[in-house]
Amino acid sequence: MSFVLRNLQGVVPLRRAKLRREVETLRQILGIQRFDLGLICVDNQRIQHINKTYRHKDTPTDVLSFPFYEDLKAGELPSQLDRDECNLGDIFLGVEYLLRQCNEEGWDFHSALTVVTAHGICHLLGYRHETEEEWKQMFQKESFILHEFNKRTGCHLEPLTKEYNSEK
Amino acid sequence: MLKSLTRALGVATRISTSTAASSTRVLEPLLRPAVGAPSSATARPFTRSIWMLCSSGSSSEHRPGLLSSSRGIPSVSCGCGGLHTEGDKAFAEFLSDEIKEEKKIKKHTALPKMSGGWELELTGTEAKLTRKIAGEVVSVTFNINNSIPPTFDEEPEQGQKPSENEPEIVSTPNFVVEVAKQASNQSLVFDCHYPEDEVGHGEGEEESDIFAVREVSFQPTGEKEWKDTSYTLSTDSLDWALYDHLMDFLADRGVDNTFADELMELSTALEHQEYIKFLEDLSGFVKCQ
Repeated sequence: MSFVLRNLQGVVPLRRAKLRREVETLRQILGIQRFDLGLICVDNQRIQHINKTYRHKDTPTDVLSFPFYEDLKAGELPSQLDRDECNLGDIFLGVEYLLRQCNEEGWDFHSALTVVTAHGICHLLGYRHETEEEWKQMFQKESFILHEFNKRTGCHLEPLTKEYNSEK
Repeated sequence: MLKSLTRALGVATRISTSTAASSTRVLEPLLRPAVGAPSSATARPFTRSIWMLCSSGSSSEHRPGLLSSSRGIPSVSCGCGGLHTEGDKAFAEFLSDEIKEEKKIKKHTALPKMSGGWELELTGTEAKLTRKIAGEVVSVTFNINNSIPPTFDEEPEQGQKPSENEPEIVSTPNFVVEVAKQASNQSLVFDCHYPEDEVGHGEGEEESDIFAVREVSFQPTGEKEWKDTSYTLSTDSLDWALYDHLMDFLADRGVDNTFADELMELSTALEHQEYIKFLEDLSGFVKCQ
């Protein structure tokens, strides 16, 4: 099934082909190629609007996930036997916010895009980080995905947050 | 068909943006023929009034029939040989008000500049932006005609004035990007457009790219006419990875989302400038100036 990439902003120049290649690698690692997935790159204004609308938080952020199946248990893929739609959902990347964060922290922007996308995919697969226990489970999954990604591509990616933050 | 409808809707919307405040002025000239007619005419039967207007006074040798072209049209001569009616006068006054209103809302005194060293060349309603990068010449051509998508009127919310609800008129022309390399007599040509979102209209939740490539083709460099015998790659059923490479190729040559935003701004200013010029020409034509 297809992976749809959209770039709705003009603030941050993006390399679409590179981003697509890396997300395709993530999909292979997770075995989710048969599911539709949307990745939408937006600026601060738009991600703040979405954050306010759906999470009542009037601030920009780096990533927001909208799972197609909201009742998935962490790590379980939707069963195709009883599911009509092969769709995981959409991820909105706040690329302007992320670029600023990268400049402040000294991170590579395109690497950060991949890491944040992996985080977003985990949310689409039922992972949460509302409690410390959930966060640990999600952190382990992200670490596993990025470790596999590094093996395949020679990169050195790690999850961006290494400590549980109850406010996130 | 769709294009003409689009144009009609676009223009209709534009007039509606500026006539709200001047609606009394628009109506005023229409009342004048009645006010200006001899007072006795108002007491006469309707058919008689028509006859009086057509006969224009003394001569009764030639009485035009009801199907005659001058039926019911009060004419005034300025010696130019053209027809001047009270309707023309009202039309000219309407245009004068419309031009004033349009000039009031004009955003730019000069056309906005495109960043990135693009040179602009105008031929009527067609604009051509050209940029040289290393051994390549990149040109972008668009026409402002039929470039305003229709707006769908929404009922204003309670307590909200209609004028606050009016969407801004934005010109989103299709544009053609041509990349010519020195070493080749073939140019790579991209037919691009601004997608119209069907969902989330105006809510900030649109999910289409700012601009999209519809077709890609090789064309002989310097030829104006599109050669239909060249293979044309449609992006409708294209491998997404190839599509992304094409978009990156354009971005490397300065045609990215920022460019598309600036082009929209330029096209909107150009369209508005041409609209005002058209109204002025129309006013001059009606007034025989």
